[in-house]
Order: sequence, then structure tokens, then C-alpha cells
Amino acid sequence: MSVDRDGAGRPRDGGTVKPPLCHYPGMSDPSGDGTAEDTPSASPAAPSSGDPETDDQPSVAAEAGLDESIVGVPRELASTVRLQWIVGSAIGALVAGVVLGVVGYVVSERTELLAPGIEPAARIGIAAFALFTLFGVLRAVLLYRSWEYVVRADSLFLSRGVLTRVRTVVPYVRVQHIDTTRSPLERLLGLSTLVVYTAGSRGADVTIPGLTPERASTMQERLERLTTESEEEDAV
Amino acid sequence: MTDGETTGGEPLTGRVFRLHPLSVPYRLVENGLGLVIAVLFIGPPAFGAVAGTVGVTVALALAGGLAVTVVVYGIAYYRRFEYELTADTFDICSGVFARREREIPLGRIQNVDISQNVVQRVLGIAELRLETAGASGSEAQLQFVGEERAGQLQAEISRLSRDGDADAADEATDRFETVFEIADRELGVLALVSADAQLLSILFVVGSVFMPTIGSIVGAEWFFGVEAGLSGLIGPLATLVGILALGLVYGAINATLYYGFTLRRGDEELRYERGLLQRYSGTIPLGKVQSLTIEENVLARALGYASLEIETAGGSGGEGGQDTSQSAVPIARRSRVFELANSIEPAGEMTFERPPKRARERYAARYAGVVALLTGLLYLIQSVLSASFYWWAPLGLLLLVPVAAHLKWRSRGYYVGENHVVTRNGFWVRQLKVVPYYRVQTVLSSETVFQRRRRLGTVTIDTAGARSLVGNDAAAVDVSSETTERLREHVAGALYDSLRRRRREASTRREEPTVEESAATAEDSG
Repeated sequence: MSVDRDGAGRPRDGGTVKPPLCHYPGMSDPSGDGTAEDTPSASPAAPSSGDPETDDQPSVAAEAGLDESIVGVPRELASTVRLQWIVGSAIGALVAGVVLGVVGYVVSERTELLAPGIEPAARIGIAAFALFTLFGVLRAVLLYRSWEYVVRADSLFLSRGVLTRVRTVVPYVRVQHIDTTRSPLERLLGLSTLVVYTAGSRGADVTIPGLTPERASTMQERLERLTTESEEEDAV
Repeated sequence: MTDGETTGGEPLTGRVFRLHPLSVPYRLVENGLGLVIAVLFIGPPAFGAVAGTVGVTVALALAGGLAVTVVVYGIAYYRRFEYELTADTFDICSGVFARREREIPLGRIQNVDISQNVVQRVLGIAELRLETAGASGSEAQLQFVGEERAGQLQAEISRLSRDGDADAADEATDRFETVFEIADRELGVLALVSADAQLLSILFVVGSVFMPTIGSIVGAEWFFGVEAGLSGLIGPLATLVGILALGLVYGAINATLYYGFTLRRGDEELRYERGLLQRYSGTIPLGKVQSLTIEENVLARALGYASLEIETAGGSGGEGGQDTSQSAVPIARRSRVFELANSIEPAGEMTFERPPKRARERYAARYAGVVALLTGLLYLIQSVLSASFYWWAPLGLLLLVPVAAHLKWRSRGYYVGENHVVTRNGFWVRQLKVVPYYRVQTVLSSETVFQRRRRLGTVTIDTAGARSLVGNDAAAVDVSSETTERLREHVAGALYDSLRRRRREASTRREEPTVEESAATAEDSG
């Protein structure tokens, strides 16, 4: 519990704070300067849920005693996550390159379609590897740029996607449990992934990659607190 | 310990039961059938081979031993399967070698389903299945209990799960009123309508494009001397007849499945029964409804009929085949379906907001693209096979593109109500999905590249319903990007509002009966 408050409401490391691209309802406004990191007082007014009838109701975040400076600030992933994605796609590209190279070699041995010898086959393999890697790098850069998540007053908000832009709202009441996972590559790069489960069918979709382990565990703990705070007796 | 059907009027709780004794031979035959077939086909040669190596007597002994093992296992399964209904759980202890004890809290049970096929009906046994939200299949499967016991268990489980208080619920047990009973006429409509219209139309299009060619090939062989024009007709005609026959068979099967469908409504749950040969009955607790789907295909819509499906979070039955989708009402007059839907989830009068007109352009572009692709493909096939058929024929479909785009656009829509969000999609099969705000799990909006070009987006509302596992979520498709933002945030916010309202209502409701109860107890003592 105390882990969260000792930093005087400063957002924990890992997620760099960036100014909001657009104004989301239920999001506090860090006065546009994007420096909420060092000025906890810069975030005013608890966000409202939008319904006049229940406006006086405290938000889940407020009930959980969460620092207001954390709430509603859009964050991006740790920049090393690009490396993680690039390495991941490079491994895939390597496999594809080797497979295509071997296929090319077999073709050149058996048929007249390719010049005999190892060289043209190797060229095919390397070209495939380069192409796939380039694609991976491009995707990683663009995906990183598109990623953003917000711990809002009542819900977790994720926005990502290069070709198809997907934005997900996960109300805290609906969170069943929260996992943090670390693959070997992630451990090597000092990253962690947060998975939020809901009873909905798309529950497994709510995944935040590229968090520092500290940030991931803080988030996990914080979300758990928010979830228990907004307890509801009959989820399904 | 009690076996079989010796309960009488005694309470079901607190006693350990076994399965119906007849389930032993039934399961033996059912499971053994595959074995018998295997024995018939590979048995003799295998037996011969074994007998050849070890001698006839030893082989006979082995075969006999195998048979005895199967029977003994069947009996052991029966002997080791025990279940018990307690005041708040349903316990099952099962397993011959690996034992499993399972306790299912009654409050977590979504549906209690009973099914009986013809043989089981003759034997008077039934299969009882309990569905919860957690398991992918059924949480518990009792193969088999006596049919009378199955009914008692079904009633008792839903009575106990309503609230732990057995005395208070006692009066409510029999207050069931029939809400819907399928009439012969409706059964006929069901048979007519249930053949999937979309499938039909695809078959029809494919048939009319390809069949002339096949028809001419076949016709040339079959009808020597018959005029070429006539043989050209035979192909499409055969297709049409085939499609109709297929549709009728499918419809007839569906009609037997829903024969004698009755839906009864109690205080807290719906109970349905259906089936001519194979009987099904099940419970749908009203407190666990995730969403409602009102579905009507083109044919049904033209006739003014629709079906209603009530979705709970219960496992989707898996192996059942047709009974995976739980139609609360397989077919009924549209007005009645809406009336019933409204009595379950009062969404009121729905006025749908259509997507902006530019969505229509998107569909037109998409369909035109598909037509172009199809034509190109046919041209390619034609030039590769160097056969001559009307590869340009699909271009005629271009005339239909604007109509199709308009119809698709027209059938889409969404409605934001006070307590519900409703989405509407589909021309061939129009689906209205009614989702109460308090059942929303997550809300997501997505914008593909093509959608972004036209400033459109899709909002998907995810519930815990079993059907949404197959991607059948409520979705407002191709709404303007401003609406996308607004709708997404509104639904997520409305979830909290309605949860608070429900909590308030629940607390006031909890207070009221206590006053009455105390008055009642005062009277009793006085």
C-alpha cells in the first residue's frame, strides 16, 4: 500500500508522461505543460462521470485514495519496448530467411528455375530476412508511437494500433485479476507485461507491454486496489 | 445413501445420491458401441493374429477379460459417482481411479439443462447439465439421472439459488405462468424460415454462374438430341430444386427440435421445454441475463416474425450442436418478441441512429471491389483453363452494388437508452442486441485504415455472454468518429451509474421485506 504514496504522488518511473493528444472525458487536465512528473499540484479537479445525477459520487480512484496526479495522465511505454519488438520480429525474420534459403537451395538443386550453387539461395534468404526485419522495425516504431495508456478515475484506457487503431476502456469494477509476465527477452531488456483479465470474452486483449518491472508491479498493485475498492457482488 | 427413484416427497437436500441404475447399461451400450464396431471390424483379424501366437484359449481369455473389464469399469463408474445437493452447493464426487470432488456454489449456476434423446426417454432417464460462467463446457454433467429426479433437481437448484432462504422461496416455487407456446402455424413458419437465407442467396448466385456450364456438360451426356437451350436450363433448375430440398430438410429438422416449445416465467427465471424426439428443458435465471438478441432473417422479416435469444454467461454447451444457441423464443410474431424482450429488459421504444451516409459509400466501394476481384478471378480461371464461360457475368452485379450498399447501411444502427444500449446490424440476418449497461465488461473502439479515411469507427460492447466468445458482440459499426468517442465513453460511464442505481435499489429492496417479515412474525406469535 505504502509503495504507492511514498513518492509524493509522483508517477513512478518507466512511463514517461506526455501531454494528452485529445481531451478524454473523465481525465484530469495536466494544464497542457506535460510536466506533471514534478508538479503534483498541477492536476486539478477530480474527473466527473458525466451524469448529473451521480456527479457527487466520488470516483473509484478517489475512493481508493489514489493520488490525483496519477489519474488521467496519458503515458507511453518504455522506449526499450521497441527493441523488444524488433528483436522479436528479427528472430521471426531469421527463421523465415533460413527456411526460404533452404527452399531456394533445394529448388536450385532440383530444377532449372534457379542458378545452381549456394549463392543465389543465400541471397534469397538474406533478402527475405532484410525485408522482414525492415517491416518489423517499421512496425515497432509506429506501434510504439501509437501506444498510450491512461489510468483514469473509473477505468483503464488503452489506445494502440498502426493500421487499425483500437481504444479499449476497462472499468475497474470489471477487472477479475491482474497478471504481470516477463518473457526471457523481456527479462533481458528489463521489461514487463501487464495483463488485465475481465469476464468478457475479449479480456485477454487487455495487455500492456513494455513496462518496467517496478512500474508493472506498481500498476498491478494499484489496479488491485482500485478493483477491490469498486467491488461489486454479482459480476456475471 | 439412496439409489434410483425412491425419494417420494422427501427433501432433496442433505442426502447423497447416485446416478440412475439404468445409466450403467445405457452408458455401456453407448460407449461400447464404438468398441463393438471396432471388435467387428478389426476384431477377427486381431483375434486371429493373437490366437496364432498365443493359442486360441489364451486369446479367448484375453477377449473375455477385455469385455469383463469394460463392464466392471461401467459399474465402478456408477458406484463411484455420487452427488449431493446442499443448501448452498451442489457437490459431486466422481472418478474410478482419479477421484474428483467438485463443489459448485448454487449462486454461481447460470443454467440447469435437461436433455433426453429417444432411447433415454424410453428408459426414463435424462442427462442433467449445470452451466457456470467459469467453465468452457458444462461445469457438471450427470449421465444419467431419472427423468423425475432431473426435474426435481432443476426446480430445487433454482429455488435454492434464488436466495439461501428456503422457507421464503417455497411459495414462489409454483408461480410459473406460460409466456409463450409455439403454435403449429409458427412451427411451419420456423421450418420455412430457418434455412439460412444468406447461404441460400450465395448458393443461388454461385449456381446461376456455374451451373449453366455444368448443365451443358451434363446435359450433353444425359439428353442426346435435346435442344441446347433446354439443357442450359436444367443446371439452374437442378440447383434450385436441390437448394429447396436442402432447405426443407433443414427446416423440418429445426421444426422437430422446437416442437412443443413452451416458455414459462417465474419470479426469477424462465424455463423452457422443447423437442419432438429429443426433449430439452432448461432454466434461464433472469438475474443473470447478459444480453438479448432479437434476430430475424429476410424471410422472417418479410413475414413479420422474429426470434429472441437470451444470453447468460453459462458455458456454451459445446458438444450439443444445435442446442448451443439458447433461443428463448425460436419464432414468434415480431410484436410478441419485442413485448417479451421488453418484459425482460425494459429498453422501451427504440429509435435507431443510423451511421452517417458516407458509410454507405464505403460499402459500395467494398462491394464493387469484391465484384471486380471475382470477375478478375473468373477471367484468370478462364484463360488458364482456356474454357469459355461467361467470366464477365459477375459484372452485372455492379448494378446491385448501390442497392446492396444502401440496404447494408439501412440495417445498421444504434440506440442509446436510459439503461440499455442497443445495436442493430445485418440485412440478411438482422440482429438487434440489447445490452444493459450494468452488464458491460469492456468497451472498445476500433478504426481501420479504411474507416479512418472516411472518419468512421466501430464501437464494440463486450459482455460476459457465452455467445460473445465467438465474436458475436454488440457493435455499433461505422459510426462517425465523434460518435465513436462519445459512445465508448458514455457506455463505460453509464456502467457505473447503473451499478450505483442498482445497488441503491437493492439496498432499499432489502430493507422493505424485513419490515413485512417482522410484521408477519409478530402476527404469528400474537
